[in-house]
Amino acid sequence: MAGNLFRIIKLTKNQPGFLVATTNNVSIALYSGPPPGTPPPQTKTKFGPLADEDRVFTNLYGRHDWRLKGAMKRGDWYKTKEILLKGADWIINEVKTSGLRGRGGAGFPTGMKWSFMNKPGDGRPKYLVVNADEGEPGTCKDREIMRHDPHKLVEGCLIAGRAIGAKAAYIYIRGEFYNEASNMQVAIAEAYQAGFLGKNACGSGYDFDVFMHRGAGAYICGEETALIESIEGKQGKPRLKPPFPADVGVFGCPTTVNNVETIAVSPTICRRSGSWFASFGRTRNSGTKLFNISGHVNTPCTVEEEMSIPLKELIEVHGGGVQGGWDNLLAIIPGGSSTPLIPKKVCEDVLMDFDGLVAAQTSLGTAAIIVMNKQTDIVKAIARLIMFYKHESCGQCTPCREGVAWMNKMIYRFVDGNAKPEEIDMLWEISKQIEGHSICALADGAAWPVQGLIRHFRPELEERMRRFNEQKVRASN
Amino acid sequence: MAQPLKKSLKQVKPILSLDKEEARKRVLHLYKAWFRQLPYIVRRYDIPKNVEQCRSKLREEFTKYDDIKDVRVIDMMIIKGQMELKETVNVWKQKGHIMAYFKDTIEPKPTDFLSKFLTSKD
Amino acid sequence: MLRTTLAKVLNGAQFSPKNIAVITRAASDQAAKKPEKIEVFIDDIPVKVEPGTTVLQAAAMVGVEIPRFCYHERLAVAGNCRMCLVEVEKSPKPVAACAMPVMKGWRIKTDSELTKKAREGIMEFLLVNHPLDCPICDQGGECDLQDQSMAFGSDRSRFTDIDHSGKRAVEDKDIGPLIKTIMTRCIHCTRCIRFASEVAGVDDLGTTGRGNDMQVGTYVEKMFLSELSGNVIDLCPVGALTSKPYSFTARPWEIRKIDSIDVLDAVGSNIVVSTRTGEVMRIMPRVNEEINEEWLSDKSRFSYDGLKRQRLVTPMLRDSKGELKPVDWEVALLTVAKQLKNAGPSVGAIAGGFADAEVLVAVKDLLNKLGSEALCTEHTFPLDGSGTDLRSSYLLNNKIAGAEEADFVLLIGTNPRLEAPLLNSRLRKGYVHNELEVALIGPKVDLSYKYVHLGDSPSVLEQLVNGQHQISKKLTSAKKPLIIIGSEVLERPDGGAILSAVQKLCAATNPQTENWKVLNVLHKVASQVAALDIGYTPGVDKIRELSPKILLLLGADEGSIDKSDLSKDTFIIYLGHHGDNGAAVADAILPGAAYTEKQATYVNTEGRAQQTLTAVSPPGRAREDWKIIRALSEIIGATLPYDNLNEIRNRLDEVAPHLTRYGTAENANFFKQAEALSKSVKSQIDKTPFDVKLKELQDYFMTDSISRASPTMAKCVQAVIKQKQSKY
Repeated sequence: MAGNLFRIIKLTKNQPGFLVATTNNVSIALYSGPPPGTPPPQTKTKFGPLADEDRVFTNLYGRHDWRLKGAMKRGDWYKTKEILLKGADWIINEVKTSGLRGRGGAGFPTGMKWSFMNKPGDGRPKYLVVNADEGEPGTCKDREIMRHDPHKLVEGCLIAGRAIGAKAAYIYIRGEFYNEASNMQVAIAEAYQAGFLGKNACGSGYDFDVFMHRGAGAYICGEETALIESIEGKQGKPRLKPPFPADVGVFGCPTTVNNVETIAVSPTICRRSGSWFASFGRTRNSGTKLFNISGHVNTPCTVEEEMSIPLKELIEVHGGGVQGGWDNLLAIIPGGSSTPLIPKKVCEDVLMDFDGLVAAQTSLGTAAIIVMNKQTDIVKAIARLIMFYKHESCGQCTPCREGVAWMNKMIYRFVDGNAKPEEIDMLWEISKQIEGHSICALADGAAWPVQGLIRHFRPELEERMRRFNEQKVRASN
Repeated sequence: MAQPLKKSLKQVKPILSLDKEEARKRVLHLYKAWFRQLPYIVRRYDIPKNVEQCRSKLREEFTKYDDIKDVRVIDMMIIKGQMELKETVNVWKQKGHIMAYFKDTIEPKPTDFLSKFLTSKD
Repeated sequence: MLRTTLAKVLNGAQFSPKNIAVITRAASDQAAKKPEKIEVFIDDIPVKVEPGTTVLQAAAMVGVEIPRFCYHERLAVAGNCRMCLVEVEKSPKPVAACAMPVMKGWRIKTDSELTKKAREGIMEFLLVNHPLDCPICDQGGECDLQDQSMAFGSDRSRFTDIDHSGKRAVEDKDIGPLIKTIMTRCIHCTRCIRFASEVAGVDDLGTTGRGNDMQVGTYVEKMFLSELSGNVIDLCPVGALTSKPYSFTARPWEIRKIDSIDVLDAVGSNIVVSTRTGEVMRIMPRVNEEINEEWLSDKSRFSYDGLKRQRLVTPMLRDSKGELKPVDWEVALLTVAKQLKNAGPSVGAIAGGFADAEVLVAVKDLLNKLGSEALCTEHTFPLDGSGTDLRSSYLLNNKIAGAEEADFVLLIGTNPRLEAPLLNSRLRKGYVHNELEVALIGPKVDLSYKYVHLGDSPSVLEQLVNGQHQISKKLTSAKKPLIIIGSEVLERPDGGAILSAVQKLCAATNPQTENWKVLNVLHKVASQVAALDIGYTPGVDKIRELSPKILLLLGADEGSIDKSDLSKDTFIIYLGHHGDNGAAVADAILPGAAYTEKQATYVNTEGRAQQTLTAVSPPGRAREDWKIIRALSEIIGATLPYDNLNEIRNRLDEVAPHLTRYGTAENANFFKQAEALSKSVKSQIDKTPFDVKLKELQDYFMTDSISRASPTMAKCVQAVIKQKQSKY
């Protein structure tokens, strides 16, 4: 779930205290002046398909050796020492230049996030935490990385750790990812043996450790503060913010939590330069991205593509087209289960990036595209998602604990149509009552699919209710 | 000072009796009426007193007020006495009301510490 | 719970609401060093607050109360009920007022449309699964959920699902004989969990399950093993945790509440006695920051049913067959008076643990009039050195609230957790929030926090006095050291030597704070300090020596003296309220009033005079204690010169003025002189290890005549023993 819980819609407005407190000067630096992090002016008009030489993840499909030898052949661990020796500021600048935004869903600029950690220390160690608790329905990108390219992540941990001055990295991996965890562990062990990790990592004089922590299979542990609690051995329940993890994180120390993909692309950015990475995609949405295409397409897949690629092109080129042809398309969930769905007419020309999808009243999330054609029972599909959120709610705060369960009950009645049309408005209001009132964003993630459904498929809901009531009347006669 | 007082006395409206003699007659009349009823009262109320005791109590009650000279006051007391008699004869009263003539039912409040303590009236 | 201090010392954690919320005295000290205040606006009212103040606290400063369920001043912030959401200008989302520290210039709107809507929404969610059983709920009438749904909830329901699926139901848990659980009513505020782990120091409560299936409970079915467990009843904002003994007995609007003082330990907790139809229905704590904050120990809270059982309701005299026969007050007083007259000055008195200052003075005056000085307390205190002449040697000098400020505490021969649970909760607070270190000489007991156990040998004390012990350096270098000595070790034959050693030890410390008192004596019974202040001789040795013809027991039930200690023809008068050990040996019984039945003065272990108020009248023919003595004096012809409460209070004032200065703790002086006098003590500490009577929780519940008569306390003992045998 990593980050669908923090996404751009919210980012711009949702962390008032934090932004007011810390970003005043930073954001000016980011959006106005020429220093690093300045996005290049928008010149490109055509995005994708991505050329093979521009791919970051060259073993995405596991056709090559994933172990150290194979990884080094593909360029991992190449001159890592030189990168480390260039220092934290250089790495952060490069990442800022690249315009990399968090790949977990919220899309927070990674360079800025890392620079928060460069405050003068107070004696506490700093930590990097990698969020590999990929649990969002539809999302399966981190899994591929850890299976087939674990060394990218391990190297990424080292470089990101150097950038934020961390003492160690914790990779919190989803419990169900057994093989992925075992591959990761092997990769970490190989890196230690090769001297890339541990004391004097890569001969750079910098000591760095990587630990792996397997979760027990709770979606909520993908929320960064719940993940921190879980690492500490407590119940995985999100903490109140503030204090943010950058102040008080894992074991009470400053911590940065990043998604696997964010960390895994950072070595390549450092190696091939930030401006190379920034050359892909629209301004402020730059880079390449792993897209998961699933559902009613002919060839479901995970593919690395350029940001801002049109949704239709992505599905036609990589997904092999919608089953039954493009005209058979009903709706698409563009960014993992927590993002609101978009109907076919929006799908025609929407661009797959943060800003493009926000404009379409949804969000990029983890870029997990769930395609639904006209044979889908759309209400039931959304109801199933709400049931997932109901089951995964941690139960700590009221709106989520009570509200999501209530929504779940209602929407399952909507599936049959066993409700009155005014209850649709009530459900909308309840979803609004949940959104933004809880400790973490899980409740928001549960509210949005419902809102998307009501926004685009209200006639369908009303039709079902009409039919159900007709049937009832007929049965009673 | 004496002049206007006299005047006002003269102007007073009589209640029943016009002079002392008439009032005296009325008192004797009331006394006799009570006197005759006493045996019945003793019987009807089943009080632990005999007629003789009641008669002396009756006499006591009347003589208690023998210092009253004001005709109007005497008249008023006669009216009260008649009301009392009627209530008694018609058994509108209860035994305790009759016995109240013989003994005060309210005990005096203790005043010193020890009696307060023993009666738990503190 | 983790000690929060580590994070607090480190920079950056200051904004952690967990640290802001809990009121510690240390925190207020810290705040004093930071004078720079920031200005915020609550509903356009400007207010200047310390940095780190939460929105809720800032609002409270201008008198705006924000509704809350999970937030509690004395517990860590959870922020999970979301009831306190308020709008902050320029923030699209409402913020949780209980957890969010204010920022400069914030404009907080506690009454705006957005705020109201958020509250209404939360209220609706809370009520979705809350049963509508208010008419049969014991919390009804004093329920936060009821009150707040009236004030902030919607005026109509749209819970259409009631026709389809209904509400959640949760199985009740059995967590002991004191707390009744109706878990369906739980709104998951986690106050009880936080109380258990933070204040009580028992991690018995927690949550299991997730989402809508989350339950508050004990993981496995077990008893909530704490001496402070009853407080979760007060904390619970709904009727999920209610009092088992009180269940279905009274409703809040039909009871009378009388402020009073608890006497079941020497702490003197402030309580509210709820009565109906002349019966004590329940006892609840009353806030007193100096003593019990807002907590109350279980014995004080639940042993009130002992006030209705085993009571002495009529005077009794032992007849020729040796049986006690009920008689009238006249007969009893005359008989006793005759005996007293015959005895002349050969009279003695022993004051037990529940004797109030009024009766103590009255008895002293009476016996003095009769020419006797044999006035003793049941509990001993050493008379060597300054003895009880200087108050400093027998008080908890640094006060109860002062305990949480200490940085090093040495406990000698005491188990504060069971002897004075609320003092122990202060020590725990210091331990959790204030880097307090604790060391203990005495038997190893569970104090609910970590401490250094120095063993139970008196030789440790000697080593400490000589400065040879490994902990000596800590004691001398501590800025705010505290030595708390249990009254129980001072009851030993070598108590004088121990006290003198401790006084020497105190003199060796170097407190850096003005008016910091190192020496603290922790008493176990409520009457002791008043008795010593009035001039009673501690211990019953004097009685044993004199073997008086008449012995008056003022509720002395601990069996400190029995018939074999006295000559055969000693006439024993028992004046007290319970038929316990004392009444069993008595020849005449004069029934007195218990602490809920009289207006009486008690002095707690810190030397603070407080008064109980009459909540109910004494049962049967029982009378207020001092009045019995006054009546007796009149009959024997030595009338005492006071007839009512005011007059005896004047007499108290003559004897010791602080006895009538209610609420204030009279400081003791002459520490130096006491220490100097203690040097004259030549006796030696013997080798017997220090011991305390109350070691385990089951020892705690029945310690005096009231709690011994209480069925609830008996159930507690049984339940604890059963729980200890269980594998959980």
